[in-house]
Amino acid sequence: MIEFIQFVLAPQMLNGLALGISVILVALGLTIIFGLLDVINMSHGEFYAIGAFGALALSAFGLNYWVLIALVPVLMIPLGVITERYLVRRVYDGADRHVSTLLLTYGLALILEDVLKIMFGPNTHRPENPLPGATEFVGVFIPTYRLFLIAIGIAVILVVAFVVYRTRLGAMVRAASFDRNMAASLGVRVSWVYSGAFAFGVALAGLAGVLLAPVYSVFPTMGRDFILMAFTVVIVGGMGSIWGAVMAGVVLTQVQAISSLIVSPVWSEPIVFGVMVAVLMLRPQGLFGRIGHA
Amino acid sequence: MLDRLDISMRANHVFSGILALAALIFGVLAAASGDVFYLRLATEALILAGLALSVDILLGFGGLLSLGQALYFGVGAYTAALVLRDVPSFWLALGVSAGVSLIAGIVGGLIANRVRGVYFALITFGMAQVVAKVVYNTRELGASDGLIGIPILEIPLGFVTLSADNPLGFFLLTLSIIAILYAVTAYMLTTSFGRVIIALKANEKRVPFLGYSTWWPRMVAYVLAALIAGVSGALYPMLRGFVSPELMFFSMSGNALIMVIVGGAGTLAGALYGAVLLTMLKSVMGSMTEHHLIAIGLIFIGAILFMPKGIVGVFKPWVERALTPRPGLDRAKDEAAFRSLL
Repeated sequence: MIEFIQFVLAPQMLNGLALGISVILVALGLTIIFGLLDVINMSHGEFYAIGAFGALALSAFGLNYWVLIALVPVLMIPLGVITERYLVRRVYDGADRHVSTLLLTYGLALILEDVLKIMFGPNTHRPENPLPGATEFVGVFIPTYRLFLIAIGIAVILVVAFVVYRTRLGAMVRAASFDRNMAASLGVRVSWVYSGAFAFGVALAGLAGVLLAPVYSVFPTMGRDFILMAFTVVIVGGMGSIWGAVMAGVVLTQVQAISSLIVSPVWSEPIVFGVMVAVLMLRPQGLFGRIGHA
Repeated sequence: MLDRLDISMRANHVFSGILALAALIFGVLAAASGDVFYLRLATEALILAGLALSVDILLGFGGLLSLGQALYFGVGAYTAALVLRDVPSFWLALGVSAGVSLIAGIVGGLIANRVRGVYFALITFGMAQVVAKVVYNTRELGASDGLIGIPILEIPLGFVTLSADNPLGFFLLTLSIIAILYAVTAYMLTTSFGRVIIALKANEKRVPFLGYSTWWPRMVAYVLAALIAGVSGALYPMLRGFVSPELMFFSMSGNALIMVIVGGAGTLAGALYGAVLLTMLKSVMGSMTEHHLIAIGLIFIGAILFMPKGIVGVFKPWVERALTPRPGLDRAKDEAAFRSLL
């Protein structure tokens, strides 16, 4: 029994946690963009892929991996601002905002995916692992990079939550999302806040791309596979809730990790999506509320 | 008495009629020149038009964005494939597919109708994902390879027996089936019940105050859309001889959405035009470059930004104006009314 826990269950759960943190990193940007701007960003997966490819391209210039972790998200910001200013904003005040912004970002996703294919080819790239080897963690062996991923992931989540909930900037953003006109009349530059919040979400997608590239390979459609899981996490946690995304991310990936010990691993994915449908049926707003809506 | 909806529907019929006429001319010309490839492609475009039509019922009339309509298309296709492998009967396959997609639509509708707006979009997306993954992993359904080896059908049509191998014959049969689906949809939407569906899109909160249930119209719209997608899907294995899990994937549902938006949401005819246009575009560009997604994405974004009513929506006001009866032109009646005043 002890051996089962030490060599099967615990490594599986730790790997599940690493996957969970990865999914949360992707889901974080998604949930912030929805929570603050009310936009379902279908191109989020492509921004994630752009982050990974950006890291790959820049490392060809000899840039250190640790520099890239900081550099790539910064480079993603202009992309986010442009997307918000010139695409999302144009349909933002239309009749059915949810539908039109969702469709618009879906169109953008198609374009970005093909652009990545043209620039980097359809093949899979495998970036060098900056932290090779495995580390023993309370009697369980886990790849060092995954341990690092868990640690930095938790740090990023805490920083994001701190910025959104505990700083003046975050309060301005939440105010603008709660009541745009009231925030504007109190002197908040709503237009900047919207661009900034969108760019923040895009930068987070880019960061996730850099961090996950050494674990999951880099290929043009990488966003498509991962984004499904991220969407599920955001929906189950409650669209726009940071803590909801964290909780749902951890729980769902553990469900996936443990259920793949019991049933064939190919069935763990339908199980997770099934949980999502069940949650949507019983509690459509998800487990937690939205940012800025208490 | 004609009202706005009647005139709008008649304008849609004008557009659909033009398309049907063009399809007939194309069919005759293609058959005369001995073409097979383009006839089969056009048949596929018509089958996809059925899927797009079902998306338009939900999005263009009910105001419901479905991101998983390919689910019912796939259910229809798989059901037909399973039936045809055992009993090669066209009508049996079509009937069973219609029945199964009807049941699937009722089950899906009971789940999806619990939520509104953006959550409706996400739950339809999730349901399609679950079913697609289950099919993808089930060996009895051919798993990732799908089902192959569907026999070439002999289709009895009463007075004549048609082979699904005959490109013109099957093209015309598909055209008639899509025309029937279109007619049923158009009729349904102009009944007083159908008008409640349209009212839901305009303002869902007011509908109950007028004494109507909001649940039933939405449910009927959803099940009708599922049925239409399923029947269209049933034609797919007859044309291509196989089905694969890709038929249920999001890219399929996404394609149908692009067709509806580019063609013109809420016009019914737009779904048909969009399907034909997109299939043509993919085929033409697919032969030149493998990067046709960029062009499709650009056209899609362009349509959303600059042509929110789609291609049909651009020309529709002219047709509507031509169809609107002008009261001032009936001189005999005017004179009678004038005399009665004297």
